[in-house]
Amino acid sequence: MAAGARRSFALSIFVALAVVVGLAVTAVHAADTPRRGGILLAVIGADPPSLDPHQESTFATLQLVAPLYSTLLQTDPYDYPKVIGDAASEWKISPDALTYTFKIRQGIKFHDGSPLTAADVKATYDKLLFPPAGTRSVRKNSYSAVTSVEAPDAGTVVFKLKFPSASLLLNLASPWNVIYPKKYLDKDPNYFMKHVMGSGPFKFKSYTPGASFEGERNPDYFVKDRPYLNGYKFFISTETSVRAAAIRSGRAYIEFRDLPNAEVEAITKQLGDKVAVQHTPMTGQWGIAINNMAKPFTDERVRKALTLGLDRYTMGRVLFPLASLKDVGALLRPGTEFSLPEADLQKLPGFGKDIEKNRAEAKRLLAEAGYPNGFKVVLKNRNVKLPYQDFAVFAVQEWRKIGIEAEQRPLETAAWFADGRDTGNFELIVAPTVEASDDPDTFLRRYTTGDPQNWGRFSDPGVDDLFSRQSRALDPAERRKAILQLQKTVLEHAYYMPGLWWTRNVVHWTKVKNYVAPPNHYANQKLQDVWLSED
Amino acid sequence: MGTYVAKRLLLIVPTLIGAAALVFVIMRVIPGDVALLIFGGEAGGQIDAKQLADMRQRLGLDQPLLVQFGTWLWGILRFDFGNSLWTGRPVIEELLIRLPLSLELAIAATIVSVLIAIPLGMLAAIRQDTWVDYLVRVVSIGGLAIPSFWVGILCILMLVIFFGWGPPLEFTPPWIDPWANFQMMIWPVVTVGYRYAAVTTRMTRSTLLEVLREDYIRTAWAKGLRERAVVVRHALKNSMLPVITLVGTEFAFLIGGLVVTETVFTLNGVGRFVVDAVAHRDYPVVQALIFLIAFGFVVVNLLVDLTYAWFDPRIRYR
Repeated sequence: MAAGARRSFALSIFVALAVVVGLAVTAVHAADTPRRGGILLAVIGADPPSLDPHQESTFATLQLVAPLYSTLLQTDPYDYPKVIGDAASEWKISPDALTYTFKIRQGIKFHDGSPLTAADVKATYDKLLFPPAGTRSVRKNSYSAVTSVEAPDAGTVVFKLKFPSASLLLNLASPWNVIYPKKYLDKDPNYFMKHVMGSGPFKFKSYTPGASFEGERNPDYFVKDRPYLNGYKFFISTETSVRAAAIRSGRAYIEFRDLPNAEVEAITKQLGDKVAVQHTPMTGQWGIAINNMAKPFTDERVRKALTLGLDRYTMGRVLFPLASLKDVGALLRPGTEFSLPEADLQKLPGFGKDIEKNRAEAKRLLAEAGYPNGFKVVLKNRNVKLPYQDFAVFAVQEWRKIGIEAEQRPLETAAWFADGRDTGNFELIVAPTVEASDDPDTFLRRYTTGDPQNWGRFSDPGVDDLFSRQSRALDPAERRKAILQLQKTVLEHAYYMPGLWWTRNVVHWTKVKNYVAPPNHYANQKLQDVWLSED
Repeated sequence: MGTYVAKRLLLIVPTLIGAAALVFVIMRVIPGDVALLIFGGEAGGQIDAKQLADMRQRLGLDQPLLVQFGTWLWGILRFDFGNSLWTGRPVIEELLIRLPLSLELAIAATIVSVLIAIPLGMLAAIRQDTWVDYLVRVVSIGGLAIPSFWVGILCILMLVIFFGWGPPLEFTPPWIDPWANFQMMIWPVVTVGYRYAAVTTRMTRSTLLEVLREDYIRTAWAKGLRERAVVVRHALKNSMLPVITLVGTEFAFLIGGLVVTETVFTLNGVGRFVVDAVAHRDYPVVQALIFLIAFGFVVVNLLVDLTYAWFDPRIRYR
């Protein structure tokens, strides 16, 4: 072969390789480059009672409308629980931590074209913090430190506090606190129960109660080039197997809340690498409230015996595949900043790993309290299978081993709320705690005297004091100390019986890109960065 | 006939007032407070006593029961069933979203059940104690024993597993997209239709067997008439009275009673609406729906009674 021909041949090989490498790089890049268009199809397990997240506490409302709104702050979709701005571009906190000043981003427009200003943020938070007659604000108590919200100019909002609040920023990042235009609130504070007018990445398109909810792309969204999707649509079905079948058949691409492991396995077995599963822990715990006002539970020994009788570690292994309940922990989610360390946890009644020793101690305490042969008790529960009833069935079996005969009595939701929260008409009742973040204020308030969520109706001035101290402590170490002590006090006296912490399986088709599941089904639902690699 | 119809129409009034009073009392006797539920949501929520009192006042729950009942009855007379306490939307608006679907399902399932039941019931009766009869009895007992929602779940799973296909998740009215409507409705119609065909088949078989033993049928055979003429012209029409009653009441039940089937097939129908409303203690919705379902039953019963005359000329209403 002549030198020229060899050169040509080498050149052609080089060019071919370059083309192949180039194509490969392009392909990889294409796979990673967000694609515009498409409608995200999702299934959801409930119909919303109203469309106003300020007034509701169910995911059924929030998941549907979150993409339509902005919030003042938000938790970072890629780095939970870091707080970042949404409508607020920056903020500063005064040295005494009693004044929070937020700068509102310029150029944000509501879907009717009007600008979002500080006046709208003030009107929104006034509604949340000081709800007008005839409206409700279910998270109002989380802002008890705030005395006023002011809007000195169109671009500035100032929150004045009466005492420092360690949780305030995280609570201001709550996905429930969506910003409404003032002019609509002025006309009717309940306007948003039935209507939508936000400034989020998507605009409201349609809602058929009990059937579907649809949003379409907002071309004027203040974040450049977002959202990627043309729209999203939720189909409402209360039946778990139907939602799972919808994913399997491709009628829906994602279920944001949780599917049981058995369904997840069936889906992955059939669809293989067409689907992905994000397993995350949840900011939710299933436990049992003990009526501290009713005999024999006024006796601490009896309460301790009950909690000692639960083998939580086996419970986690058994219930995880069935009901997604898995982790053993105290009153704050295991592995988080303020959770009780494992070594401390195991010293508390019912959390030691030697179950035979726990049961022997439980029987001894029962005998000492005058119940050597145990007693009969009714465990009230909500008539919802997952995870309520599976959890209760396990607890009932466990107590039998220490001589306590518990009868599980499932109640319809209304009666469950009435007996547990309203009247205290129970001995034991399954009482979960599910919140939008790991914020200690939100999780621990229910253990204070007189709190409406203190279903067990116990009162311990020491716990009240620790709660108040941690809530105002700006030094994280000082706050942590109070929080750990509070958890130990509640569990040492067995005022309440934690069971297991919930986990979350988010199943989605792999064509759904850029959705990162946080540890609850409330945050990161704006969908502004989500895209579909194909229709 | 005219007097009979007028009497029957007048009887509707006390029947409906009775149904309304009964459901009004029951809803308020059972434990649970809608105001608390509205605050409670999924797992609790923080409650403020003043807000709770405001909410009760806003919902009219602070009024005496008699006043609440009177207000509601007065609303009915003006065809105003009030607003849902849960969603705040007018009850009639909520109902109109769901009624077309429930009516379509009820009508189609009734047609399917009749199309299956009458021929099978006849076949089983005229071939009594043969393998045909045994087969029909097995099929119909199967339909009675197996809950239709379970058949529905099985249908969906088989479609998904074997064909990777599932029915649409959202109802499309037939006048907008007949094909999408067909794809969605065929499965619930078949499963519910099969369930009710089972009941009707057994009723057709037994009543036809009774009629076939009548003297005038023996006379017809003696006259040398063919089997078809004896069965279809002389026996079938006379054996239809109990079957018509059954089909009529089934139809009325199907409008509001298919809760689980509607859930399984993601059908946003009246049945699910009733059950959700009971769970939420949404008094105006439950009262309105029970009232309207009772009204449906009364009307269907009236129509059934009037149909009797056509099927059996011996019946004359005086």
